Amino acid sequence: MIGPAALFIGVFVLIPMALTIWLSFQDWSTQTPFGTARFVGLRNYHDIFSQLSVGRDFKAALRNTALYTALSVALLLPLSVLLGLLVHQRTVPGGQVLRTILFASYMVPMIAVALVWSKLFAPTEGPLNQILGWAGIGPQPWLSSPTTALYALVLLNVWQQIGYFTVLAVAGLTQIPAPLYEAARIDGAGPVQAFFGVTLPLLRRTLLFSTVISIINAVQVFEPVALITQGGPAGSTNVLTYHIRRVGIERSDGGLGSAMAVTLMLALIVAVTAIFALYRRGDRA
Amino acid sequence: MKIRKALPALVLSCAASALAAQSVEVSYLTHWSPETVALLEAAATRYSADNPDVAITVRAVPFGDLLTTIRSGAGADAPTISGIYDLWLPELVRDGLTAPAPDAVSAEVLAAWPAGIAAAAQVGGTVYGIPNEVNVYALNYNKALFAEAGIAGPPATWDEFLAAAEALTDASKGQQGFGLINSWAAGVVHPFASFLASNGGALITDGVPTLDSPQAGEAFGLYETLVSSGWSVPAMGTADANTTGPFLDNFVSGKTGMIVMANWWESALKAGMGDAFQNIGTAPIPVGPSGEMASSISYTWQTVVSAGASPEEQAAAWDFLQWLNGEGTGENGASAMSDILMSMGILPSRTSDVAAHADVLGRDFLSGYVSVLANARAFPVVLGGQEFSEALQQTLEALEYGQMTAAEAQASIQADAVSILERAAQ
Repeated sequence: MIGPAALFIGVFVLIPMALTIWLSFQDWSTQTPFGTARFVGLRNYHDIFSQLSVGRDFKAALRNTALYTALSVALLLPLSVLLGLLVHQRTVPGGQVLRTILFASYMVPMIAVALVWSKLFAPTEGPLNQILGWAGIGPQPWLSSPTTALYALVLLNVWQQIGYFTVLAVAGLTQIPAPLYEAARIDGAGPVQAFFGVTLPLLRRTLLFSTVISIINAVQVFEPVALITQGGPAGSTNVLTYHIRRVGIERSDGGLGSAMAVTLMLALIVAVTAIFALYRRGDRA
Repeated sequence: MKIRKALPALVLSCAASALAAQSVEVSYLTHWSPETVALLEAAATRYSADNPDVAITVRAVPFGDLLTTIRSGAGADAPTISGIYDLWLPELVRDGLTAPAPDAVSAEVLAAWPAGIAAAAQVGGTVYGIPNEVNVYALNYNKALFAEAGIAGPPATWDEFLAAAEALTDASKGQQGFGLINSWAAGVVHPFASFLASNGGALITDGVPTLDSPQAGEAFGLYETLVSSGWSVPAMGTADANTTGPFLDNFVSGKTGMIVMANWWESALKAGMGDAFQNIGTAPIPVGPSGEMASSISYTWQTVVSAGASPEEQAAAWDFLQWLNGEGTGENGASAMSDILMSMGILPSRTSDVAAHADVLGRDFLSGYVSVLANARAFPVVLGGQEFSEALQQTLEALEYGQMTAAEAQASIQADAVSILERAAQ
């Protein structure tokens, strides 16, 4: 009975991937039939890593995506564990309500999130700067400066995704047998020692899953960029998915866009493989 | 009893007639606001009253999504009619997405529109669209802020312009002298191209980038001076996907003294400023040290018909467009399209429409634009133009945010422009 599944995967996964890889070696306008594609060898790959503007833009988008992803993961994982520890305590009043509120942010459509956050970040009348003002901190440029715009988008991403990853962390925490904490307590372990000696090691599988999913989500970031910053200012939020859309659809350069997509896919495969390798090495240690 | 038996047949017959009557469906894609879309729909309803076999639906998307929507919907599902920015036309034609205009439409475009505007609707001598709006860039300034700063009138030269920018800047009040726009390619590139034109230079001459000219060097230097002196604050100039955002907010709230923008944003200014709109004046772009007279750049919009539409749909679409842009379909002998454009403060381009709206075009805000139109140069429409615009946008934004010097920006964009246009021509 593996046949239908294999057919499904072949049609909807492997063929599009193979087609993208094939197109990455062609000069092809996305608005013309595949038959018009002209083989150009490695030229597209050469161009996206060259000093031409197309190469500089691609490399900058790659760096922006890597930074956005690294920061998102670095904030999401510890925060989700911290919030998970808080809300999974059944004895804490309002834990259920808190879980619901946290997860609600994940369900809000991105268009609504983008509208609200672009106003929150507004440099003059934005509430965030007003709150900072009460604390004696001067107004921040948020989305209006190339030095802060990407970080502002990371904040938005963390806000939206934290509920989902907290739910994952809570699911992981509920799998940890209570007697282990009891044994740790009898051995004289305090809450901090129990966290590092029991909770964290037994959350490793959950954290592995969360890491991989948060990386994939972050690499695929598109809507907030398209809706709020348009890749600016000065290209500081031009991430790869948005850039590929610009090149592949707006400029209809399908060959170049495909080469970028393949490079992004390879980078993602390398990153995820490295994470699994680290996890396995940790298991053996 | 007879009536009871005949009723279903009558209903079926009416339904069949209605279906037959509206046998061609034409969709129209635009980036206009809901209020303007309502005017277009009203015009379409008037057309359909005389042409019951054609049903017209209008769909609007934000400007930032317009080209993507046209490209990603290519084929049978594409909108029958799309409003496009002239810079996009060569590549849409190259990719076979737009249909050439029928002979009658082509002849009318060549006869009824000024030659320069009709040229922007052609590729290789073939007409592909019907021009509608023409936009030109001019200096908008806040008269109240000018009076407060003791400045008698709008600057006529770059020296006067810089002096005014300095006088209008008050960092303690969060007020900048001149507003630069970022995060929106046309909003960045067109004002720069206008300053360059008023300094006797051009972005592209005969298909070759000329950003290495001394005139361009002076224009990059002007931007560097504005930013390094604090008379322009880049963080106050961000635009969003709807071509609004902080750059507009800062101007309408009196935090920006001057800005270079096109006539189409009159409606946005009115909406944002209310009665204070009367404080806004329009003047020619100040003349640079190498320029001889005030100049600017202009660009047009036009409506094109999808090559993927059926012959019947194409015929209906061209007929509707010819009607919409035709003489006498609007008020006082103007076209229906020009009435819609004028509701937004946009200049119509058909010669007869300019004459029909002469009184309205004479009002304060618009007359400033009309006066600079004669000396304006058309923004270059070339293959690779969109990529070139985006590259120039990146370079100018890097200059504005201090990531490049004026000299580095000039050298970098000239090299990029040469490479982009060469690749596009291959």
